[in-house]
Amino acid sequence: MMLNTGRTIPQGNSVEYKPSPEYGAETSRAFLAPLDLMDLGIESGERIRVTHRGRSVVLTVSASDGIPPGTLFVPYGAHANHVVPAATHGTGMPDFKNIMVEVEPTRDPVRSVWELMEDLGGRRL
Amino acid sequence: MIVKDVICPFCACLCDDLDVHVEDGRVTGVDNACDLGSHKFMTDHRLEGPIRRTASGWQEIPLEEAIRETAELLEAAERPLLYGWSGTCGEAQSAGVHLAERVGGVIDATTSVCHGPSILAIQEVGHPGCTLGQVKNRADVVVYWGCNPQHAHPRHLSRYTTYADGFFVHNAFKERKVIVADIRGTDSTNLADEFIRLQPGGDYAVLGALRAMVRGKGSVVPPEVAGVSREQLQRIADLCKKAKYGAFFFGMGLTQTAGKYKNIRNAIELVDELSRHTKWTLTPMRGHFNVYGFNEVCTWMTGYPYAVDFARGLAFYNPGETTAVDILARRECDMCLVVASDPAAHFPAEAVEHLASIPVVQLDPFPNLTTAFARIQIPVAVSGIDAEGTAYRMDGVPLRMRKVLDRGCPDDASILREITRIINDGGGP
Repeated sequence: MMLNTGRTIPQGNSVEYKPSPEYGAETSRAFLAPLDLMDLGIESGERIRVTHRGRSVVLTVSASDGIPPGTLFVPYGAHANHVVPAATHGTGMPDFKNIMVEVEPTRDPVRSVWELMEDLGGRRL
Repeated sequence: MIVKDVICPFCACLCDDLDVHVEDGRVTGVDNACDLGSHKFMTDHRLEGPIRRTASGWQEIPLEEAIRETAELLEAAERPLLYGWSGTCGEAQSAGVHLAERVGGVIDATTSVCHGPSILAIQEVGHPGCTLGQVKNRADVVVYWGCNPQHAHPRHLSRYTTYADGFFVHNAFKERKVIVADIRGTDSTNLADEFIRLQPGGDYAVLGALRAMVRGKGSVVPPEVAGVSREQLQRIADLCKKAKYGAFFFGMGLTQTAGKYKNIRNAIELVDELSRHTKWTLTPMRGHFNVYGFNEVCTWMTGYPYAVDFARGLAFYNPGETTAVDILARRECDMCLVVASDPAAHFPAEAVEHLASIPVVQLDPFPNLTTAFARIQIPVAVSGIDAEGTAYRMDGVPLRMRKVLDRGCPDDASILREITRIINDGGGP
């Protein structure tokens, strides 16, 4: 499937306090077309594992009629960026959109933003 | 106390009609702001004082010690990266450029991960821009391409386009036609008179087809271009040509997809083509409230708008090489000073990982995800709330941000100047 990332109101509302549960809950959401959820055999509120070139992240799905089939939309943030590649093709800008990823249902938990930072070598406050 | 006509320090709309209620040194309410702006004023989770990371946790340290240690780290670094700058005022940005030059570092802004590609395109073919006042008073056709203003710039439509009556547009909601291009249905596409629903990555092709039609070469356009029918494209081309004044706004849907700056170049050349028939302008929907300001400040100080490398003793600019994500992904910098941004939240993980292996100092009022990598974090005043200064709106108009309360916090500029002074004096306050 194709991963696209972008802004949402709840992401913007909590962007000045990212340790908050509201921020982590919003940035770990994945919006998919209802038909794609049927194909995956899951419903809104259940989880998927999104993988790109060996990096993966667990997200909670929401059905959204506006999303084109074959794509998923994830609000900007640490969860999506866990799988966004760093290559900028000589422009300075990574591909935050149009990333081909593997998507599979999972029962693994969604990791908090601090856990994601610890995975990368950081330490929670 | 109510402070009138306050400018909002969230997005680059810089809405200047907010009324902010202040009691006992705290903001207790905000009138006229959107949801995003209100949350920024009302958020009260600031760090109380400077902190330093230790082997087992975090310790509070005096401000003077935090500043001196930051100066020492910058001076000791061979290739420091000074990144961020979009959430602070021009005065701090200016101090940052001076500091970068002094330590021979690289200075880059969040521009490189938002409208950097737009600047690259503008450097190729120019910027047919205008003020938002022109749009409000004149535009009868408005395009939003690859952006969702209802979520990213919630008052853009009510202040400048769909819901804003102007001098020559007396009933905006009825008289202005709004065209929205996106790959998905959004709260903004729901308001469109024409929704161009294109396939992902199809922007360049659809813009090219519209250019052909405006030029009178519609016969070369196939029946469908990236999911958009030739009939709809012809309808849109005709609508744009008949406009008295057209305004083209665009966002990350063009800058972050394949083609990057070439997408924007094609959009600018469409506007150029349309301006042979009528009047059209183009404006990037800049995100952070003063990200445009960094490009202005950096350009008048160095000749380049972002991603400036002073390692050679003079300003060198080469996006793709001197941009922050590339420098981190190549594991090139050996120290990072982050000011008014949060790269750990907004950069790809591969770039963020390098922050864990180098000293990082952050100037930011709030704990954020870059805090997890910081050796030192110095809380500062929030520009536009408890610090004044100059910010540039998305159309390049500079506005003076007000200070609505005083929390006794130093601002970014004073700390950056003190760091530079310590380095110039050879260490020690």
